[in-house]
Amino acid sequence: MAHIPTANGTAMTGATSLVKSLEAADVEVMFGLPGGAILPAYDPIFDSSIRHILVRHEQGAGHAATGYAQVTGRAGVCIATSGPGATNLVTPLMDAAMDSVPLIAITGQVPSAAIGTDAFQEADIRGITMPFTKHNYLVTDPDQIPGVIAEAFHIATTGRPGPVLVDVAKDALQKMTTFNWPTSIKLAGYNPKTTPDAQAITDAAALIAQSSKPVFYVGGGVIKANAHKELRQLVELLGAPVVTTLMARGAFPDSHPLHMGMPGMHGTVAAVTALQKADLLITLGARFDDRVTGKLSTFAPNAKILHADIDPAEIGKNRHADVAVVADVKETISALIPALKAALAKNQPDLSAWLRQMNSLKSTYPLGFDQPEDGSLSPQHVIQRIGQISGTDTIFTAGVGQHQMWASQFISYEHPRTWLNSGGAGTMGYGVPAAMGAKVGAPDATVWAIDGDGCFQMTNQELVTCALNNIPIKVAIINNESLGMVRQWQTLFYEGRYSNTNLESKRVPNFPMLAESMGCVGLSCERPEDLDKTIEKAMSINDQPVVVDFRVHRDAMVWPMVAAGTSNDEIMIARATAPDWDSQEL
Amino acid sequence: MTTSRRQHTLEVLVENEPGVLARVAGLFSRRAFNIETLNVGPTEDSSISKMVIGVAVEGHSLEQVIAQLDKLVSVISIKDVTGKVKEVHDTQPDYQN
Repeated sequence: MAHIPTANGTAMTGATSLVKSLEAADVEVMFGLPGGAILPAYDPIFDSSIRHILVRHEQGAGHAATGYAQVTGRAGVCIATSGPGATNLVTPLMDAAMDSVPLIAITGQVPSAAIGTDAFQEADIRGITMPFTKHNYLVTDPDQIPGVIAEAFHIATTGRPGPVLVDVAKDALQKMTTFNWPTSIKLAGYNPKTTPDAQAITDAAALIAQSSKPVFYVGGGVIKANAHKELRQLVELLGAPVVTTLMARGAFPDSHPLHMGMPGMHGTVAAVTALQKADLLITLGARFDDRVTGKLSTFAPNAKILHADIDPAEIGKNRHADVAVVADVKETISALIPALKAALAKNQPDLSAWLRQMNSLKSTYPLGFDQPEDGSLSPQHVIQRIGQISGTDTIFTAGVGQHQMWASQFISYEHPRTWLNSGGAGTMGYGVPAAMGAKVGAPDATVWAIDGDGCFQMTNQELVTCALNNIPIKVAIINNESLGMVRQWQTLFYEGRYSNTNLESKRVPNFPMLAESMGCVGLSCERPEDLDKTIEKAMSINDQPVVVDFRVHRDAMVWPMVAAGTSNDEIMIARATAPDWDSQEL
Repeated sequence: MTTSRRQHTLEVLVENEPGVLARVAGLFSRRAFNIETLNVGPTEDSSISKMVIGVAVEGHSLEQVIAQLDKLVSVISIKDVTGKVKEVHDTQPDYQN
């Protein structure tokens, strides 16, 4: 909205108006693939200042735009044609909705006169995506294009961020219109509240000052709001333990002594227990997801809840909030710091016993793993070494499954926007295209996709896109020749009956050859003694994408674990092994 | 009608645009909220429609239903008019006009 484009008032086609609108919205890059219905828009794209990256599958475009958005904090843009082109964006849109990513999807639609006739490549993509877009549009009048695009960016990037789809009929792209970029946006039904109520802040500060076992329960909203500096000030002011959810890894430095780690199904004993034994959860931009709470009725049974979130519908959705603050979490924390100082001046609670208990758990039950007895590669060790060798400025993406949990557990995250994964949706195949988008958004950073052999086989075609467009990402395939997390559940809950989880990916495909065929460098590593030099070799190649096939031990499992549907109190640190609670003073 | 299900009536103003009924109905369906009755009609402003929705709240709070409805960009305002609609009809029956 900052500037009036010079094209304002000029006659042009709807297609040119669409591209001018994207330029006016300061789009620098978009990921897409043309087809019949969107084809009119691709003609002005040819002349546009916007970089268009031609993907090999629309799903890759969607996840790449998400990776770009997660790294830059800007809206990511993907573009596809009607019908199957549009439906291939469905998974990335659902993924972006679950993880609150500002994503703009532009799709072509059949000509307006043909809508409803089952025309060639016709799909009701607006109807299909209603459940998981923040809002969506079908545009049949070219005069509406600038206004709709401006609204789409406004809706996607403000309030709780989310995906917006704009479906444009082919004839609206072809007809003539006059371009008019709006100077302001008025939406009667959309006014997100960003400033916290003064009374809510006072109540929140009082609640914190009364508690003796508080925990900061930090979610992905803190990263979305760029509130990590403020968070650290608030945490150090109170001196209470912190847990960061899967979506919040990097919001608070892993190396900080008050950090207890990640809570949830594969969280640390200290983080899970901190929530269970707390008398107050200071919940910041988190949403009480079932993977964090375990069995909801037994979650944090003694805790009062302070819940700060920009989305009013999250308040009380899963857990009653004793004090709710609906606002931008950065503004909330900024207001809370002076309010808490004042409250603590009147009543400074003694948290020393609580901190002693938590630190005892943290040192007694650190994350760890056993090296395989047969001398083969440990997947956790591979991931840990990649993190240590590439350093804390590296951006990591992951697919979904065991490798994702290990990448969250065994890489130390010190900065926000360095850990990208599919948290809410659990989208296998997110890793490679998200890394592509991340590298486009942060070209100077090293970007590693930590992927599984199952996930990699879903979206690896985007390595062709990377190779041809100078996007030199690095991919670590943690190859345990299995759908590893599913296999782990079969080991634990289905008597080891491995129904359809054996991928045989140490036989087929040959990952290094597959990588080479796509214009990447393909490497392989099977022995622990080759691990560091293989990673260093991958780190030394910066003019081409690199894929490393790490052929790891098959039976490694993710621990700790709270089995689905059970209480967090039943956390296991290894198979059939609970923490020794009797030795802990809790 | 048993009293175990809490009945509420919501008066919802929405943008008068194609697909808005699907947005509201889809929200109720996917969040497992129950619609008991639904009336849609015009208002004095042709760009705005009025929905009167009878909701049976079971396992969800009314606040949650309203908060989720309010997230729809096409929804302009929501008023809980439980009990009030009936009163209006009792005092001012349509046939008097």
